[in-house]
Amino acid sequence: MPATDLSTLHGAGARASLLRGARLGMPIFLGYLPIGMAFGIAAIALGFTVAQASGCSALVIAGAGQFIAVETLRGGGGLAAALIATGVVNLRYVLFSATMSPRLHEYPRWQQFLLAFTLTDETFALNISDAREGKADAYSMLGVGAISWLGWTLGTTIGGLAGSAIGDPRAWGVDFAMPAMFTALLVGQVTGRRELVAAALAAVLALGLTLVLPGEWAVITAAVGTATVMTAVRP
Amino acid sequence: MSAAVVWGVIGGMALTNILMRGVPILLLSRLKLPTIMERWLGYIPVCVMSAIVATSVLRPGGAWLSPLHNPYLLAAVPTAVVYRFSKSFLGATVAGVVAFLALRYLLG
Repeated sequence: MPATDLSTLHGAGARASLLRGARLGMPIFLGYLPIGMAFGIAAIALGFTVAQASGCSALVIAGAGQFIAVETLRGGGGLAAALIATGVVNLRYVLFSATMSPRLHEYPRWQQFLLAFTLTDETFALNISDAREGKADAYSMLGVGAISWLGWTLGTTIGGLAGSAIGDPRAWGVDFAMPAMFTALLVGQVTGRRELVAAALAAVLALGLTLVLPGEWAVITAAVGTATVMTAVRP
Repeated sequence: MSAAVVWGVIGGMALTNILMRGVPILLLSRLKLPTIMERWLGYIPVCVMSAIVATSVLRPGGAWLSPLHNPYLLAAVPTAVVYRFSKSFLGATVAGVVAFLALRYLLG
């Protein structure tokens, strides 16, 4: 998809696009709110203040990466161990960032920075699907990023303030919110035979790899392996 | 834990994450990637999504669940159908969560 020419996107157009992105990102907001709450609760239990827990989410915006850092600290690991743990878990962002890059080449640096700052599994998947349909532009992607950031940070603050008084957010069925969104995204991505073959291969490979690798690594290894095989066998 | 250590961890994590997310975009978006590289990257989204769906519905929480007693797997079916016909991510997500709650209740 050619990147939208931003010189035509100002004022009302940009605002409409930003709002469209925020609406598109609502499933992520709904999914992040309770996971953010769970992170807030975990961080408070470790001795973070509410400001520290919220600041962490607002500045880092990395679900698994934040949980693993908190776990490392709780286990007695120091600052360096926590940073290495979060870095390793979030290495996949390098791949997502590289995958997004050809679509962002006409955008100014500040927009690239904000899009990179809000790049997560979910915003990546949603924005790249939207871009494939030719609907995404810089502002819609920033809208997706903003609403996702808000859900994650707000959730953490609520979790930090309410603590364990709110109980386990999983009781509301929210632990299916992100799998549900990814299911819908996957249906949208499988547009032909080649995508179907790639999806099937990646699924089988990922499931097999979960026997020997942690979940995040199984996913990324399966994706890299499948993309390599598909690129190699394409006539 | 002292406030300085906590803010040190937070600052370090923020820096690590923005570097990993930002550097490839900032560097690669200025280059014309070779066709084979673009083709390879083009497969990444569908592969990532499929791998995430497969592991999160068949091994929720990191453990296998029997297919007929797995509300994650069963709820993925109405989710996919709702998306197929509505083209709405929000609609599909909400329908999926409702189906999941109902199935989890029914399956005990």
